This record gives sequence, structure tokens and C-alpha cells, in this order.
Amino acid sequence: MNNTAASPMATATSSSGRSAGKSISFAAELQSMMFSLGDARRPLHETAVLVEDVVHTQLINLLQQAAEISQLRGARVISAEDLLFLMRKDKKKLRRLLKYMFFRDYKSKIVKGIDEDDLLEDKLSGSNNANKRQKIAQDFLNSIDQTGELLAMFEDDEIDEVKQERMERAERQTRSMDSAQYAEFCESRQLSFSKKASKFRDWLDCSSMEIKPNVVAMEILAYLAYETVAQLVDLALLVRQDMVTKAGDPFSHAISATFIQYHNSAESTAACGVEAHSDAIQPCHIREAVRRYGHKIGPLSPFTSAYRRNGMAFLAC
Amino acid sequence: MTPIKVVGVWITLQALSVGLATDRGPRGGAGRGREPALPLPRCISPPPQARARPPRPAQPRALAGLINGSCATCAQSGSACSSTCLGAWPFSALLKVAPPPMEEEQTYLELYLDQCVAQDDLAPPGSPLLSPVVPDEVYIPNSSHPETVFNSHLEEVKETSGPFSSVDLSFLPDELTQENKDQSIIRSKHEIEENCKAQSQQSRLSLPREQDIGLGLISNSSFSNSHSHLYPGDADSVQPSLEKPDSMPLVSIAPMTPMTPVSECSGIVPQLQNIVSTVNLACKLDLKKIALHAKNAEYNPKRFAAVIMRIREPRTTALIFSSGKMVCTGAKSEEQSRLAARKYARVVQKLGFPARFLDFKIQNMVGSCDVRFAIRLEGLVLTHQQFSSYEPELFPGLIYRMVKPRIVLLIFVSGKVVLTGAKERSEIYEAFENIYPILKGFKKA
Repeated sequence: MNNTAASPMATATSSSGRSAGKSISFAAELQSMMFSLGDARRPLHETAVLVEDVVHTQLINLLQQAAEISQLRGARVISAEDLLFLMRKDKKKLRRLLKYMFFRDYKSKIVKGIDEDDLLEDKLSGSNNANKRQKIAQDFLNSIDQTGELLAMFEDDEIDEVKQERMERAERQTRSMDSAQYAEFCESRQLSFSKKASKFRDWLDCSSMEIKPNVVAMEILAYLAYETVAQLVDLALLVRQDMVTKAGDPFSHAISATFIQYHNSAESTAACGVEAHSDAIQPCHIREAVRRYGHKIGPLSPFTSAYRRNGMAFLAC
Repeated sequence: MTPIKVVGVWITLQALSVGLATDRGPRGGAGRGREPALPLPRCISPPPQARARPPRPAQPRALAGLINGSCATCAQSGSACSSTCLGAWPFSALLKVAPPPMEEEQTYLELYLDQCVAQDDLAPPGSPLLSPVVPDEVYIPNSSHPETVFNSHLEEVKETSGPFSSVDLSFLPDELTQENKDQSIIRSKHEIEENCKAQSQQSRLSLPREQDIGLGLISNSSFSNSHSHLYPGDADSVQPSLEKPDSMPLVSIAPMTPMTPVSECSGIVPQLQNIVSTVNLACKLDLKKIALHAKNAEYNPKRFAAVIMRIREPRTTALIFSSGKMVCTGAKSEEQSRLAARKYARVVQKLGFPARFLDFKIQNMVGSCDVRFAIRLEGLVLTHQQFSSYEPELFPGLIYRMVKPRIVLLIFVSGKVVLTGAKERSEIYEAFENIYPILKGFKKA
């Protein structure tokens, strides 16, 4: 099996060679995004460049796999269904994606009700746009669901632990800010890949692809890119916390080698970076995080989800 | 339905008055050269749109004065009216205080008079609530000068109400079902007759309304839940208080219901931004004919199966369907929405269709306000998880779904709050009063 630890890094370095020729870089936006996700006030540029590489690689791979699936079903564009299909194995992440899509629908419904011009626009556009994404998701999952688990997700109201963790971290981070810092923080939080849709498209080099993603698929891709960055920051913060030796911890000498919390992937709690706000995330933290994420230990590791992807462990799905 | 309409008006007036009162403080002059202290009586010239209208013979003198920019009592125009002219004080001051309600009030008057003169076939939109509302909407309670306020207000109203008798204010109900409602309103007003110089039936009707509201304003300055107690007691509570000498009718009124402590009241009133209403014209319509003959009408059957019509006063848009149903959006108050809907119905009627005005219903009301401090949304979303959703990369505001009343609030970091999903004005106020202490808890210092 491929060495999953090396592959993201190997392809990352190769793509960084490519990106030196490309002019599009999201490094500045990524720095802001990392700040809003829990990093220090001024994340390091090297870290941002590395994160950009990782995200870029993973997204390109994801797009290729989605394109293959599209071809399999004979479609002309990559649509939301293909991406949903790729994510079908990981329930939690799929549920987060579904909640995101529903929220998007809900938000456009509300905003439409507020402004009369929006209302007219919507009416004039003819098609019934309400809950469009929800319908797509529901129809598709209905069609592929054999055991009923996927459809059960629609009614599922469990708390998403990872989201909860992120909310708590943000709350802790903002508690001590003054209003100017908080305003900046909010600005950073509002950054997303979907806001810079055309740059995002070029960054992924969509125009050179045979099968291109449609609008909803691009929304999902932007979301997945953001999720990848968020996951990376979560993991890096955990790694950094581990690297700090705590007095009285009997296993402190053995932690970095044998820390197997990531066997259950990054869905663990207690990713708090409370005392470490002064340091920014270093590139080594990111590398270690990716290594650990892809490194599956255990008797059943050949059969877990990461392996079905030919070696690339996708952070976002 | 009766108490709700009364309440609706009452709350409208309360809202506007309190809103205007609070707005006055921080604005302090708002570029009109007014002293930041209590507004001295001074007449101002109305916006140009009022002046542009041709003079009408049937216009009451006082109203004409207001519209044409002269003081109602001293009949002098503009700056000639000195600050000692007390008679016109409330109106002119009010007109100066808040331009949007003033314009609304004036154009309201003009429209209303327009309709009366036009003598159209439709039951005139001058429902019992419209005409009294007109002067009231710009009413401001001035707690430090209640006597003069009410005094001059009464005088003013008596003057303006005199000429009203010449105009036919046929309070024809929309449909027969509304007759009972109108009668009960009229009954409550009749109770107060003996205390006022009744000049005409119209004045009788208009005066008590204002005093109703006046009482409401003095006794209950906050939109607490206790206004629900006021609703049934409104008509009755006014009566005992007015057994006073004419000059000071409403000065020393004991509050009818317990006042909530000032600390609980937010002191901020959400302003209505948009009202969506529907009405059934109850006849099949030929959209092509309407689109051809009506001005400001769009019709593109390939894109959307309705005529889109717009009018300028009140600035609204209507979607008219061939089934006879109509959606009216863009109005800033319930009365305006109704008035606009009536205008559209009149347009359709004039084109030859037997349009009626059935089942007018307000479907959605949107209000907005500003709490004036930054809010830490991360904290709010954490503690009120089951009600709120916050995805800043998608939408900069937190979406809070309040259960009681069922209102959706959009809360922004800057402190702006948008409330939507209400069917009644009171829901918006109640929702805001519910959320305000919560927001204060997450104030970003």
C-alpha cells in the first residue's frame, strides 16, 4: 500500500513546484482563515503556504475522483451527487455537509423574505429554488441508500462534536478580545473560498478539466476546502498541545511516538489551545498532523476508510 | 378581530411615538438647525412633493396650512411663524422630528383626500382607523410637558376636525363582517364624547382615538407583556380618566396596569421595514389587458405568470395573478400596506374588472433596529445552540429562531437586529424585548 504519510508531502512538494509558476495563491486568505479557526493573531506565512499545498492537493485528487464517478454514470458535469457519493462512508462529515447545505437554503429563504427585491428576483427566476440543495441531497441519498443509515441522518439531531469543539474554541478566543480585535476576528471568520469563487475555480484549474463541476458542486468544494483547513488547524493545535510537556504527565516522554488518538481520526475532543495563543502554528505541526491522520495503526487498518482512496487520506471526507 | 385592529393602531402609535421620542435624543438637531433641547415650536416647510400638488377647494384650512407650509393657528408661513405660536407646536415639531413619518403622514393625508374627492366606486380606503391614525402617527409624548402637549393637541385636532365634516368619510367596511368591528370602535369613542367639544362626528371619532393613544403612551411607556392587559381594557380605561376638566384631560392618570421597571425595558423600538400582504380580488383577471392599460405594470408570461405593478405612494410592488389573488410588498406599516393594496385594487377595478377586496391578510412583517453595542456572536451561538445558527463564512449574521413568538432574528456583530416572520407588529416588539437582555449579556465591551 502506498506510504500514506509520504504521499501528501511528496505531492505537496511537487505541487509547490507547480504553484511557483502559478500566480494564484490563497496564502493571505488562509492566514486570516487560520486565525479565525484558532491559530495565533498572525499565523506564519510558511504555515499558510504549506496548508495551501495540502488543501490544493487534496482537492485536485477529490475532483479527479469525482470526475471518474461522473463519467461512470454518464453525466456531463460534476454535480453534488458525485461529491456526496464520495463522502458516503464517513457519516459525521457527511452530516456536517448536509447541515451546511440546508443552512444555505434556509438562509436564502430568510434573506429573500426580508428584501422585496430579492423576493421578486426569486419569483422571476422561475424555478422553485426553495430548498434546492436539500432536495438534491435527499433525492440522491434516497437512491443510494441500501440500509437506511444515510436517510436516518436527515432526522439525526446529535451534537456534532467537532463543531462543538470549534465553537467553544472560538468563544474562548473571543472572550478576551477587545472590540477592535473582535471586529477583525469577525472579518476573518467571514472569509471563505466561496466568496472568491472565480479565483477558487482558477486555483483548482477547473477550466482545463474535461468534466467541470456545476454551481452546487463548486459550493460543496468550497465548503470542503474550508473544512480541510479547519481540520488541519484542529489537528495542528492538538499536536502542538502534545508537544508541550506537562509537568506530572507520566507519559510525556512517550507521547509523540505512540500517541494513537488519531486512530479514530480527528473526531476527538479536547483540542484546546488555551495557553498557547502566543505561538503560531508551525509547519512542523501541520506535517505531523497530516502524518498522524494518515497513519492508521491497528489490526483492522487495511480495511478502514482511508485505504479505499488509494492512499490519500482526505481530511474533509 | 376588533381588539386587534384597535391594538394594531394603538401599538403603531405607541411605537412611532416612543421611537420618535428616543430618536430625538441622540440625533439632536439632525441637520435642521433645531436646538438639541426640547423642540421649540417652529414651523417648517414641508417636503417639495407636498407643495407640488394643486390646491384643492375642499381642503380644510388647517390641513392646507400644514401641507402648504404655514402654521395652522397663526396662518403664517415658514419662518414668519414665531416660536410663540403654540398652537401648531405639536404638529410642526413632530413634522420636524422625524422626516419619514412626516412625509408619510402628509402624503397619507393627500392620498386620503384625493380618494375622497375622486369619489370612486370602491369602498374608500378611509377605514375608521385611517383618518384618526393620520395625525396620530406623528404624535410624540413629551413627558415634561404633558399639559401643553395634550392641550394644544386637542385644540389642533379640534380645528382640523371641524372641516372634516364636509368630507365624506364613509367608513364603509370592506365586507359585511367588518361592520361589527367598526361599530364597537365607534361605541368606545362615543363614551368619551361628553368630555370633548364635539363639533362633528368625525372629530368625535378622531379625538378619542388620540386620547386612547395618549393614555396608552403615558401609562405604559414600555412594550412589556402587560400591553396584553391593556387591550380589552383600552376603551374602558380611557373613559374614567377623561372625567376631568377639558384643559387637562390626561395629565394625572394612574396607570391602568402595573408598569414594568424601566431597567427591563430596552427603550428601543424596532422599525418596520417591509410588510408583505395578500388580498383576494375575487375575480378572474386578464393579465394582458392589465399590463397593456395600466402604467408601471410589467408582464412577462414566459418568465412569471403575474403582472408586476408598482405605485409610488406608498412605495410598494404588487404581484397580480390571473386568479385574482394579489401580493403587495414593500410597505412600511400595516395601514400603508392596506392602502396600497386598495390602490392596486382600484386600478384593476378601473380597468373594468369587478374587483373586490377580500381577505386582506398580512403575511409577513420585517422590522429592524440597532442595539448600539457590539455583540459577541460566538458566545451567543454556544449558549443558545438549539435556537441559533451561525456560519460566518456563509452569512455574517447569526440566525436566531425564537420559539415564542415564532420569529426569526438576524443578529449582526455590529448590533443591528433584523426581525422577520411576524404576522403582527406586537410579535416583533415582543421578540425584541425577549432578545434584548440576552444580547446585553453578550455585549462586547
